[in-house]
Formats: sequence, C-alpha cells, structure tokens
Amino acid sequence: MRLIFEKGTTGRQGFSLPSDRFTDIPVADCVPEYARIDSPKPLTEVSEVDVIRHFTQLSKFNRGLDDGLYALGSCTMKYNPRVNEVVAALPAFIHAHPLAPEETVQGSLRVMYSLNTLLCEIVGVDQFTMAPAAGAHGELTGILIIRQYFNDRGESRSKMLVPDSAHGTNPATAAMAGYRVVEVKSNERGTVDVAQLTELMDDDTAGLMLTNPNTVGLYDDEVCAIEQIVHGKGGLLYYDGANLNASLGIVRPGDTGFDVVHLNLHKTFSTPHGGGGPGAGPIGVKKRLVPYLPSPVVTYDGEKYHLADAGEKSIGRVRAFWSNFPVLLKSYAWILSMGPDGLYDASATSIINANYVLSKLKGAYRPSYDRFCGHECVLTARDYKEYGVKTLDIAKRLMDYGIHPPTIYFPHFAPYAEETMMVEPPESESKEVLDAFIEIMLKISEEARTSPELLTEAPHTTPIRRTDDVTAARRPILTYDDELALKDQLNYRAEDIDY
Amino acid sequence: MRFIPSTAGQKQEMLREIGVESFDSLLDSIPQQVRPGRQLDIPDALTEYDLEQHLYAMSTQNCDFTQMKSLLGAGAYRHHVPAPVSTLLSREEYWTSYTPYQPEMSQGTLQSMFEAQTHFARLSAMEVAISSMYDGATAAAEAALMAIRITHKERIVLAGAVHPLYEQTIRTYLAPHGIDVTEVPHAEGLVDQQQLEAMTQEDVAAVVVQSPNFFGGIENLDAIASAVHGAEALLIVAVAEGLSLGLLKGPGESDADLVACDTNSFGLNLNFGGPHNAFLASKKKYMRQLAGRIVGETQDIDGKRVFVMTLRAREQDIRREKATSNICSNHGLNVTAANIYLSLLGTEGLYELAQLNTRAAHYLERALVATGRFKRVYDYPFFNEFMLKAKDGAPAVTKRLLENDLVPPLNLGAFLGDDAYLDTLLFATTELLNRSDMDRAAAALSR
Repeated sequence: MRLIFEKGTTGRQGFSLPSDRFTDIPVADCVPEYARIDSPKPLTEVSEVDVIRHFTQLSKFNRGLDDGLYALGSCTMKYNPRVNEVVAALPAFIHAHPLAPEETVQGSLRVMYSLNTLLCEIVGVDQFTMAPAAGAHGELTGILIIRQYFNDRGESRSKMLVPDSAHGTNPATAAMAGYRVVEVKSNERGTVDVAQLTELMDDDTAGLMLTNPNTVGLYDDEVCAIEQIVHGKGGLLYYDGANLNASLGIVRPGDTGFDVVHLNLHKTFSTPHGGGGPGAGPIGVKKRLVPYLPSPVVTYDGEKYHLADAGEKSIGRVRAFWSNFPVLLKSYAWILSMGPDGLYDASATSIINANYVLSKLKGAYRPSYDRFCGHECVLTARDYKEYGVKTLDIAKRLMDYGIHPPTIYFPHFAPYAEETMMVEPPESESKEVLDAFIEIMLKISEEARTSPELLTEAPHTTPIRRTDDVTAARRPILTYDDELALKDQLNYRAEDIDY
Repeated sequence: MRFIPSTAGQKQEMLREIGVESFDSLLDSIPQQVRPGRQLDIPDALTEYDLEQHLYAMSTQNCDFTQMKSLLGAGAYRHHVPAPVSTLLSREEYWTSYTPYQPEMSQGTLQSMFEAQTHFARLSAMEVAISSMYDGATAAAEAALMAIRITHKERIVLAGAVHPLYEQTIRTYLAPHGIDVTEVPHAEGLVDQQQLEAMTQEDVAAVVVQSPNFFGGIENLDAIASAVHGAEALLIVAVAEGLSLGLLKGPGESDADLVACDTNSFGLNLNFGGPHNAFLASKKKYMRQLAGRIVGETQDIDGKRVFVMTLRAREQDIRREKATSNICSNHGLNVTAANIYLSLLGTEGLYELAQLNTRAAHYLERALVATGRFKRVYDYPFFNEFMLKAKDGAPAVTKRLLENDLVPPLNLGAFLGDDAYLDTLLFATTELLNRSDMDRAAAALSR
C-alpha cells in the first residue's frame, strides 16, 4: 500500500490551529538562529480525511485478537474486555500530570495503591513496584533489585543461572544487569535438571531465573528442591511471570519460595498487546527486598496517598515517570470483574483448553513431551520433514484458514525441541473455537502428506505473501528516504504497490 | 463469567476427552504442600455497572483536569490529541494485535512503524530511527549503553541541565557495568562550554546533553558537538519535548551521533506519566548496535513492496545474552499514535504549532515578569518552558493557581530538594493556553 508520504498534495492540512498564534512575538526573539530552522521539515501534506482512510485501510492488513483465535504460546492473547478501555479513558485519569500536586491526583494514586494490594495477595509477595514499562523492563528491575541486595550485604556475586528453556529476555536481562549468564540444562522431562543445578549453584551465583510453568508449558514438579538448592547457597529465586495464567488461585509463586515475582499485565491480566506494546511488568518482592525497590513508591497514611522516594537502598529509577498507568487501571478493573472464583476459573479453563488441544493433536503433531501441560502445549512438525514440510510452512498455511499461527521455533533448545510450535489457547477461547482449530490442524497434517506444496507455498490468501527477509537485512531500507535514494535499483511495479 | 465462554458442561466434556476424571488430575506436577488450600482473599466479582461506578468514583478523587489549564511540563506536556488519533487507535486491528512477527498478517503495524521511522528520522535529521523505546529516559540510557559498546570506553558525561529523572534512569542502567558518570554543571541554565571541553577527555564514551534542557533552555548543539567530537566521544542528544523538533534544527544537523527523543507530545495524553514512547535515532553506521525493533522494506514473492522486522540479529529472542538490549515489548501502539499525529500536522502544521508554542511561552514569561512578582533566573533562549523566581514564594503561587483552575508549574526547590532553587518555578505552556488564560494566570499572581 502507498505510504502516507506518497499521498496528498501540496498545501493540504489535517489539523486545526488556533487563530491567535501570538504573531506579535517574533520567533527570532524566542529561538536563536543557530538552533532554528527557517523553513519547515518535509513531512506530509494530507487532510484529516486522507489520514482516516489511510490508517483505516492499513488496519485491515493487520490481524487482531477480535478477528479470531490467536493462540500464540507464552503470549496469553486473551480477550481484552471493553469495560477496561472505558474506565481507562475517564478524563480525570487521562489528563493527570505525573508531577501535579499530590492532592490533585489522589484518585490515580489510589488505583496504584489498590492494585498493589490485590497483586500481593494473588502471587504471595509483600510489595510491588508499578514502574516497569514492559515484561523485559520488569525483568531488569527485578534483577537489579537482586544485585542491590547482594551489594548491600557486601557480597559481589557474578553469575546468574538461566534455564536453556527460558525466553531470550532472561539471559539478555541478566547480561544487562551485569551478570555472567550460566545456562542450566533441561532434563529429558523438560524441566530443570536438578543435579546440574546443584553443581552450578555456588557462592558466586546470585540466583536462578525461572519461568513456572516453563516455556514448554510444564510445571516444574521439583520446585521445592530447586528452592532449597538456590536458597541453600544464599541465592535468590526470580519468577518470570510470562506463564502466570496457569496459576491464578492454584499456586502462588511467593508460596513456592520465589523472592522476586515478575508479572506481565498484558498477558495474565487481560490488557491489550497494542501490536507490540505498551504493556506493564510490575515486580513484586518479599519483605527483605522491599528497601531495594525503585522510586517512587505509593504510600497511604490513612488519609492521603503519597508518592514517596524509595530511600537510599533503592536501585534508583528505571524510567522518568511512575508507571504505565492505564495498563494498571485496566488490570485492576479486570481483577475486580473476575473476583476470586473468576481468576481461578480463568487459569483452570486455560489449562483444560491446552490439554484438550494437546490430547486431540498429539497424534498428528508429536509433542516434545507427552505429559499433562499447563496453559500451553508444545507440538512439533518433526514427522513432516520427510515430506519437505517444516513448522514454518504449517504456520503459514494456518493463515490461509484465517488463523494466526502459534509461536514457532520456540523453545529451540536441543535435543528435545525441534520444529516446535507452542499453542496457548487462553480461557477466552470456547470449545467450538478449539474444535475448529483442531479440525484445521488435522486437515493441514493431511495436506502435508498429500500436497505439501500447498504448505510450502502458503500463505495464498493474505494481503501479501512470503517476504524476502534476507534482502531486507542485507540492504536495509529503513525510511522512505532510503527508498527514494535507491529508487533506480528497486523494481516495484506501480500496480503492485497497493494490496 | 462473561469473558470465559466455555460452559461447565463443555469443560467436563473436554476433561473426558483428555481422559481425566477431574481438573485436579491435570495438576499432578504441582506439589500439594505449596498450594494455598484456600481461595484468594480479594473482593468478589463486580458487575460491569458496579465496576464503572467504582472507578468513576475513584476518578473524582482527582481534580477535574478537563476544566483546568496547565502550566506544568518538566518532561510531560499537555497538548491537544486530535480525535482521529484516538478513534483510529481504537480499531481492534491496532490495539489487540501482537508484535508483528508474522508479516503476512501484520502489514498495518509494520508499515505504520516504517512511516514513523521516516517521520522520526526527518525530524531529528538522523539516518535511522528505532521507533519505540519506553520513554525518553530509557531511550537515553540505552543510547549511553550503545555508545559504550561502540567506543569501548567507560565514562559517560552528563552535560548541563539534563532532566533529573532522566539522569537517575541513566545511572540505574549504567550502575551494573562499572561505568563512571561525570556531570558537567550548567552555567546560567546552559551547558558550560569551557567546563565541557575541560572534562571531556579521551576516556569518555559519550556526552549526553538535553535540548531543550530541563530548564527549557535551548543548547548550542553545534558548539557542543565540536567539543565532544574533538575528544573522540559520541554526542547523545536527549529531547523531552518532541514538539520542539518542529522548529529546532534536527540534532543530526549538528552532527549528533545518537538522539533519544520522547514522543509523548505526539498524540498521547498525559496518563499520569505513562505509557510515553520515545525514538532512538542514530547514524547509519551504528545501526547494528541499536536496541529494539526496526522495520525494513523489502518485497514478497509476488514482487510487492512489503515491510518486515529486520536487523533482527541484535535482538534478545535470537542473541540471548549477547543481544544489544533485553527490550521486547515496547510502546508500539504509541508509535502509530505519533505517526497519525504527525501525518495530521504535516509539514506546515508542525512548524506552525512549534512556533505557536514558543511564542505563547514567551508571552506568558513577559506577562509574569511584568507583574513585578517574578524575577528572571537565567538569560537564556527557551522553547516552551522557562524558569522564574517567585517573590511571593512557590507555595503561594501554587495555591493561587489551583484556586483559579490552573495546574501550577513545577516547584523546583521542592522537586530538586535544593535550596538554591527555593521559590523557583518551571512554567510550561502549550497551544492549549490562549491569551486570556495566560492573562488570567498573570492577574491571579499579580496581587
């Protein structure tokens, strides 16, 4: 489709400016010549109507959650309730300035304080920070808290243990927080190899970052032993909350010994993913780690709420302002909509859904591990290699049936995971939706045997087809100006540009 | 529960198909002794109506900001959000979708990111721009880490009046890596050029400068860049008020190496401080060190121009501990907000709006000084934010403005905890204040 820069015509306007532009004050009196431009930077020249049509058309080339099943493993693409959007748009909330006097923003502070109370009960910790802007940002905050805890004790531990099944953000975070990453292998059952953990966990190791259930969708049944090994050597246990949707009301990470608990509000707590964000990644800690939380913390003196500095042991600040407030508000609204029974039902249903899909598809797509799973299951396309069909082809073929593919090629640690697809059907998917998905998956498995080219050439029905990613990386065109500079070398035909 | 469609009967049916008697059989991996054995102690479910009432009541504990005009900025500026931004973003295809890993189903998000990258590169006069970091502060921190990777040096200089919350964020990000952070103080509200030259030695990886700076002052980036590059360090320019780029030269024109620019002013509400968004721009030669997602143009097998995530070998899901950053989820929806906003403003609109902002700020500054109750602190050029010292004291100003439905400026003495700034206020104006609002503010403060 044409770019917004390729639309419109000279002189078109899309914004209403006030008539009084204070032209009695010359710009030359405000901004010195060395700093200012004297003619505008070239952007667009389009009307409001052009903009509406452009972005409406563009949106139709996106697939949203409301278009159907979006069973991305480890992403928890659950329904985003509409009432959450309504309350997050209340004017008194959206126009609150973060530095406005405390007495003018008591409502916003109360939301943050109240959410803290609920989250502490749900995961079994003593206090949360609402500051982290995303899951990985929360991870960084959590690991910096661990680092600060050891600094404060005069210990300088240099290593962080991360299972081979962990999301890439875990090792990347540990490195960003200054740790040397040491990988812990998974055993043949898909969980942490406790013997290896015992060997690796020493006085120079700060702790273990664990996702539970893990990225293979399995609860680690040796979590108690893991807890004793890590704590036994003075280390701390970090909980990655990517898969908390399997645990609400069923088991609390704090009760299984985790010292730092990370959440993704945009996964478990129903807030939208926004095509990549914003979400929020609050971090909860046990009492002994509270002094290290980042600033600010919200306090309540019985009458008023305050934004307080976290004190001298704090890790400092992890961003300019306080939180991704509307994301917090939506999660708070969701918890109140669900209540204790609803939260339990959400996790129970997501676990039933995943096991149902696993039981129906394990014949056609041999799973990495044939055990009951948590809220997601890992299937593989290993058995279709002989037909020249890969997991990628199955994923692309699903698009022809109007289904967003699951997470593919993750987890990818050898030898247990090969040609993987991780399917997470959250509680908001009905049995009918799952049955339709299962039927399509079985049909595709049949196609893989009988007409593999249907898969290897898929997708056929999407607005665009398979992309040349190699050229994209080799000859980066990262702006429209890059394209203009290369115009002679590019052979897009005019009629091809719109899809 | 209305968000969970399957009935109890259907769940039983699924359990039978799985081959278990009860749901608990699926939990055989969870040790009994760590299970709570009780229900969560949280309030019972509210109906939709009761929930709305509850949250509406909470919102009324805030001031009714819709009825108020604002003189407060300091890193978050209240601008008008055009109706097309919020209505377009409410299309589920944008706000409910996932990260665009599957380009065949994500061209909407991908093309919007590519367009935003173009907007951001043009505004900053840089060659490449990552469209989404969490905010200006974290983008500046990522830029500092990037400069360390590029130069293999271990000192960062913060020059002049960098926003204290940006500075603290940068320090948090650098702390685990043993990086020295040196501050070059400001002189009269701007970078002290002599001190900058003296303190930027060969061991400096990068100098971070903010313009407009925390006090609103517009820095001379040409002069700063030559001092920084003279010491073979990189220049990182942080921008907290993105709108200023409508009128100020892009930092790239002054040969900046990296630009970290908050874009909350492009189509977003204040939302009590987040989610903001920021872009991180660089020279093309540094693009493989950038943090975060970037979109590139290529073609599909039918020869159509298409957009994909590219230069992926920097990212955490591929490189794990060797990634340039751990960033994964970003503030992507706000990139589309910025793209829509900038498309609406366009070439002339953004230029006009930026001029209007600085002119209005100068009008207010003069009006306040003319009351005789305020004194200029520095003689410096500023964009839409400026400092004044209140003869009547900061608390009196705050009180009188609140009584007049105006959100008061930042009390710098209290915010910085520094008596040198006692009764000094940081005022911001935007296009939302008209002449009579500002006259009203001046009148309220002239008594």
